[in-house]
Amino acid sequence: MFSYLIRRLFFVVFVVWGVTFATFFIANVVPIDPAIAALGDNAREEQIREFRERYGLDKPIWQQYLIYMGRLLSGDLGNSLRTQRAVAEDLKEFFPATLELSVAAFLVTLLLGVPAGILAALQQNRATDVAVRVLALIGGATPVFFLAVLLQYVLARQLDLLPVQGRLDGFSIPPPRVTGLVGLDALLAHDWSVFVDSLRHLVLPAFVLGSFSAAVLARMTRATMLEVLAQDYIRTARAKGVGPRAVILRHALKNASLPILTLLGSLLGGLLSGAVLTETIFSWPGIGRYVTQSATSLDFPAVMGVTLLVGLVYALINLVVDLLYAFLDPRIRYA
Amino acid sequence: MNPIKAVGLIAALSLGSALAQDRTQTLIYGGDWSDLITMDPQISYEFSGGLVTDNLYETLVKYEGADLSTLKPGLAESWKVERGKDTWEITFRLRRGSKFSSGNEVTAKDVVYTFERALALKGPGSFLFTEIAQLKPGATRAVDNYTVVVSIPKTASPGSFLSILTFNIGGIVDSETVQKNAKGNDYGREWLTNNSAGSGPFRLVRWDRGSQVLLEANPNARIKPKLQRVILREIKEPAVLRTALESGEIDIAEGLTPEALRALAGNPRFRTLKADSLRLNYLGMNVKEGSPFANKLVREAVRYSINQDELVNGLVQGNGTKIQTIIPKGLLGYDPRTPYNFDPARARRLLAQAGYPNGLEFELLVSTGICGGGIPCADIAAKVQADLAKGGFKANVRAIANAEVLRTYRAQNHQMVLVGWSPDFPDPDGNATPWADFAARSIAWRNSWNDPTAARLANQAALETDPTKRVALYRLLTDYVLKNGPYAVLYQPAVPLGLSAKVEGYVRNAQGQVRFENISKLP
Repeated sequence: MFSYLIRRLFFVVFVVWGVTFATFFIANVVPIDPAIAALGDNAREEQIREFRERYGLDKPIWQQYLIYMGRLLSGDLGNSLRTQRAVAEDLKEFFPATLELSVAAFLVTLLLGVPAGILAALQQNRATDVAVRVLALIGGATPVFFLAVLLQYVLARQLDLLPVQGRLDGFSIPPPRVTGLVGLDALLAHDWSVFVDSLRHLVLPAFVLGSFSAAVLARMTRATMLEVLAQDYIRTARAKGVGPRAVILRHALKNASLPILTLLGSLLGGLLSGAVLTETIFSWPGIGRYVTQSATSLDFPAVMGVTLLVGLVYALINLVVDLLYAFLDPRIRYA
Repeated sequence: MNPIKAVGLIAALSLGSALAQDRTQTLIYGGDWSDLITMDPQISYEFSGGLVTDNLYETLVKYEGADLSTLKPGLAESWKVERGKDTWEITFRLRRGSKFSSGNEVTAKDVVYTFERALALKGPGSFLFTEIAQLKPGATRAVDNYTVVVSIPKTASPGSFLSILTFNIGGIVDSETVQKNAKGNDYGREWLTNNSAGSGPFRLVRWDRGSQVLLEANPNARIKPKLQRVILREIKEPAVLRTALESGEIDIAEGLTPEALRALAGNPRFRTLKADSLRLNYLGMNVKEGSPFANKLVREAVRYSINQDELVNGLVQGNGTKIQTIIPKGLLGYDPRTPYNFDPARARRLLAQAGYPNGLEFELLVSTGICGGGIPCADIAAKVQADLAKGGFKANVRAIANAEVLRTYRAQNHQMVLVGWSPDFPDPDGNATPWADFAARSIAWRNSWNDPTAARLANQAALETDPTKRVALYRLLTDYVLKNGPYAVLYQPAVPLGLSAKVEGYVRNAQGQVRFENISKLP
């Protein structure tokens, strides 16, 4: 087990290196000058020259790559061309918002997707099943921006139930920044009204972001459960007189959980990699918005930083999923 | 009622009224502030940066309200410009008793420190000092605690320098506080990125990047604001901006779409505003040798082909002003005449005369982004393309990333380009020199337009200190460039804003400055 972990971690390093290589060269193929993108229309020629020199943009690409990798090995992600500060600082500022949102969206996914899928499988071809399938179809097919704007209009503007945008009300005083997760920071500051306010602000974006994955998950859960429920051992269990609850949870769901787990891993990865549209529509200051702005201003170090972070998160989630397999299915052994 | 309940009720009620009171004391200003990089007045060169720092720092002289042609006293109660041997000597008398947020008094040494700081840090706006004003290190001297003399060379324009000083690069910083927080030779640059040390009506409390900027009244300021707190809330999406305004989450929405503006105009809970900008959207024609646009008649034909009225009232939906000359409305020397009327028949005649009886085909370069007034640049290009077709032109529109448009334009590799320009400082010279003087290596250069008459007029006007004579010179220049230059100015975009009807005293000048201290909110 331990040696497996070591090998996998080594593999993570390899993946991350591949990510740097691909991103760096793809980014540099774009025939646009980041100095002009950063300095704008009115910039003087000397300013552009100085900028190129300061960020090493005047050197050949392979040299730029070696310099970048050299710095990366000592833990330095470089400086953003757009925000003009350390990329690591920027990530520290923007990632918590994404983490907060994606964990909330993941909960939405899990709490809606799995029960809906189980329910549909148990009631196959009956009204509940049809309802779940139709909803899942709608959920999977509705564009995020449409759903977001619709909910903003109805729930926030017309009914005034929830806030339209942001992480906190403008009139709330934000809690001192400790973790960057506003809700947690509010709890640490014992500020209950701000905590509640932050939860209220989380509802709509988390639902919008989570609804697509919930739809995917519900369909997957339904299909897998149907397959498992048709197995001989389920019939045997039922015949032995095991109660329906135990049959579903212990026998069926546990056996159906491997594919569900795989899907959950990639869904969580997708949520964490920054939900650009959701973050933009809800004015949520996360890495999705950060990376789109960086990309449009050709801010390579920032794009690289985000890509690395996301690559790392993906690789780690996959590792955790693989380790969980062994836990769920004793037949799987890692040597 | 039992006593605990009673106390609870009273507490809840008083909390409610405290909050209600707080709301009239807090202004929430929504908009796309994503260009914010720093709060350092000597470094910031972005629109949003200026919007914030203008309220944190006072300048020696300033403009008030929407007027950008009359300088008013700021930290300096008076100033005079004198002719030295090879220099202009500009003397500022500071008013006594102005205080920074630290409580320190504003004195001449802070002014000297600030100007030297701007020169040493070489921020993106520093060329305003080094090139336009030709200010050198050591040229700012404190004569006594309340008198500062600045010497700039005779070749620089004192009028331009004074108008540059209204800009945030001239925002006076508290030298003691800044030096206390300096790291090595950075003049406190790192610290001032996230903190403020000014004498303006507000101080910076907190900046959550990508989310909001929180300003609070500066307790020591000479100018007392009507509101205790101003929050700049970053909202990029125009549709969300509108919903947030309608649901009361924000008080002001900057950058609405023309449709949202129309919808809000009919609602008594809101007020709409089309704030002027100093931006000009224009067509630039490369007149280098061998280019069809090198022929003056072809350029005339282009100008007669554009149906500007339709463009401004139709596509831009009134979020802009029709203009043909190169100095925008709001600056000294603005000439409102629009002699080129849509006349495609005349355009065709001119084109035939120029040797293109069968029409002329060329490439029109445009950004894939949004142009002034909230309209996609490509839409404007399509309208221009349709108009030009009536005049006998076949424009092949190529829409590419804005940075790529600029790179091509800067390398003089375009035939025709549709872009915008905003002056670097609110003085006619901020447009005249770039547009008219080839040697300035700016717009005239990019379009390969080397015209000694235009350059001479621009230089002469820049150095003229008598306002009447200056206006006369700009009249000559703008008329000359209109008829001979490589441009067809399309319109001057406005910034569409929606405000809650409760907000009073909001004025946004064409330079994008808003004085938060004058704004109040009705309950």
